[in-house]
Amino acid sequence: MKRRLFECFSLAKCVAFLAVLPLFVFTFIFIIGPLVYMLVLSFLQRAEVWGVVNKFTLKNYIDIFKPIYLKTFIESFKLALTTTFLIAIIGYPFGYFMAKLDGKWKKRMMFILFIPFWTSSLIRLYGWIIIFRANGILDKLLMALNITDAPLKLLYTYPAVVVGMVYALLPFMIYSVYSSAEKLDWSLVEAARDLGASSLQAFWTISFRLTMPGLLSGVVLTFIPSMGLFFIADILGGNKVVLVGNLIQEQLMKAHNWPFAAALSVVLMILTSLMIYIYRRISNVKELEGLV
Amino acid sequence: MKKTYVLALALVLCFSLLAGCGRSPSQDTQLNLFTWEGMFPQEVLDEFTAETGITINYSNFDFNETMLAKLQTAKGGDYDLVIADDYIIETVIAEGLAQKLDKSKLKNFGNINPVYQSQFYDSKDEYTVPYGAGIQTIVYDPELVDIDITGYGDLWDSSLKNSIGVIGNYRVINGLALKVLGESYNTEDISKIEAAGEKLLELAPNIRLIKDDNLQDDLLTGEISVGVMYTSQVTLAKLSNPNLKVVFPSEGIGFGIMAAFIPSNAPNPDAAHKFIDYILQPEVSARCFEWLGFYCTNKAAEEYISEEYKDFLTLPIDFSGDMEMIQRISAEAEEAHTKIWTEFKSAAGK
Repeated sequence: MKRRLFECFSLAKCVAFLAVLPLFVFTFIFIIGPLVYMLVLSFLQRAEVWGVVNKFTLKNYIDIFKPIYLKTFIESFKLALTTTFLIAIIGYPFGYFMAKLDGKWKKRMMFILFIPFWTSSLIRLYGWIIIFRANGILDKLLMALNITDAPLKLLYTYPAVVVGMVYALLPFMIYSVYSSAEKLDWSLVEAARDLGASSLQAFWTISFRLTMPGLLSGVVLTFIPSMGLFFIADILGGNKVVLVGNLIQEQLMKAHNWPFAAALSVVLMILTSLMIYIYRRISNVKELEGLV
Repeated sequence: MKKTYVLALALVLCFSLLAGCGRSPSQDTQLNLFTWEGMFPQEVLDEFTAETGITINYSNFDFNETMLAKLQTAKGGDYDLVIADDYIIETVIAEGLAQKLDKSKLKNFGNINPVYQSQFYDSKDEYTVPYGAGIQTIVYDPELVDIDITGYGDLWDSSLKNSIGVIGNYRVINGLALKVLGESYNTEDISKIEAAGEKLLELAPNIRLIKDDNLQDDLLTGEISVGVMYTSQVTLAKLSNPNLKVVFPSEGIGFGIMAAFIPSNAPNPDAAHKFIDYILQPEVSARCFEWLGFYCTNKAAEEYISEEYKDFLTLPIDFSGDMEMIQRISAEAEEAHTKIWTEFKSAAGK
């Protein structure tokens, strides 16, 4: 009996255990720990002066149902939908045709898409300010072309936020569509064409269906972050477009109402998990194509 | 470059060792100053060290609350002098973390402008010496604005559609509506706060921008033509464009005071007193405020402030004295404020 027990702890198993141990510790400390902390926090009361009081309450969740905060969720949803729609329209053809390029150009395109990531996304957004601001690059261009005769007030508007969002998240769509389209067996498309399908028909019945997982994972990867990218709404929207992300940030940093911020985060997480669940049901894949 | 730093660091360490050898570590050789980054011009600090032989250890915090937490952990020790915001000092004093000043050691105490004294956080002026005040004023570019702005009420004028920029401090901006309605900044009456919220919704179409950092840039580039901003931003704006107009709202102004206090168990209280007295000297004080860009809380220093700064570092001579400080309010009132603020922001985005 004793011998058998010892056999279980063979050297190989021991090494394997030690090898994955850091991963478990890391996950526990930096992912599960904070999540549990946030969940607990969301059921506590805020203190009069600073911090929280250890008293159970559901108030934070009830407060979310106040019309103004519900509206924030709806606004975020709308913006995320608009953003994702635009990204899909621009990103899908981009990724699809990129997969059709020959090897050398594929690499080059990949490289070109990567370059902006060498700069912090915050700095890239400040670049948009230079373009959008009064008498900025766009204004000067439009006035030089005699399209407008006075500076447009483009910065700090809703469209500016949408542009910023699309710009920041577009690469995720391109990559996931690309990785899906790259695996596509083009001989199937050829076969469809041989059997008399028009190019549009062949695309719709073969290519589009087969790249669907890529498109859907692109949707998930752009839709979810766009609910929470508060700094884009801050910088390009002049703080006037209030998203759930902005609300959480403000409740945490300015109002010092940590429990309410935690409750908002929990609800946001539930909503996003729901999105991923729906995605899995639709696309029947167990993982996010391409990126995860 | 790196080598130079290392060398400099080594030298400093050597010197501090030598200093330790030369003198017995008496209480007067050091001052542990704890405040925000960049509160004093370096020359003033250096001159203080040259004059008194007291070295300054400057450590800084970002938020008042961090300062409070550190002071609580150190039980009022570790630091000799702290400069922070009014409302947190109220808590510091209430928790017994500050000690009474020995005014016999402060011969320049009388230089302080009485307007900034005897405030809620230290009603008898026993613990604190004010060091700079922030006043939320309206600044506008008269070339881009058709009306004469004299008070908060004018911000509601329809000619200012989509052209006002405000700071993101909800107590200040909500307070602006409370003031227009003739209420106090610090009312805890929820219905009054909600009425201010309604009033703010009418202001929303005029709001182009809400932001805390560098709002003056948007005024200077013409992105906005009217701004409600912090004193330090007004200073920067006026220095770049002297034609801008600064308005003391007729409804009365709100202001915040930064003040210095000595923690209850400060290791070197003598050095702290010496430093306070040093910066209360009129000439030194004037230099500090020109550098800091906040309202000068030192009456005697005003005559040393150069003409180009006077406009926005000192109160107007005919100033009515109608000021109210923003104070801490109940959690319930605070939540009502954040609610109307969120409503205001999203209405401005429509």
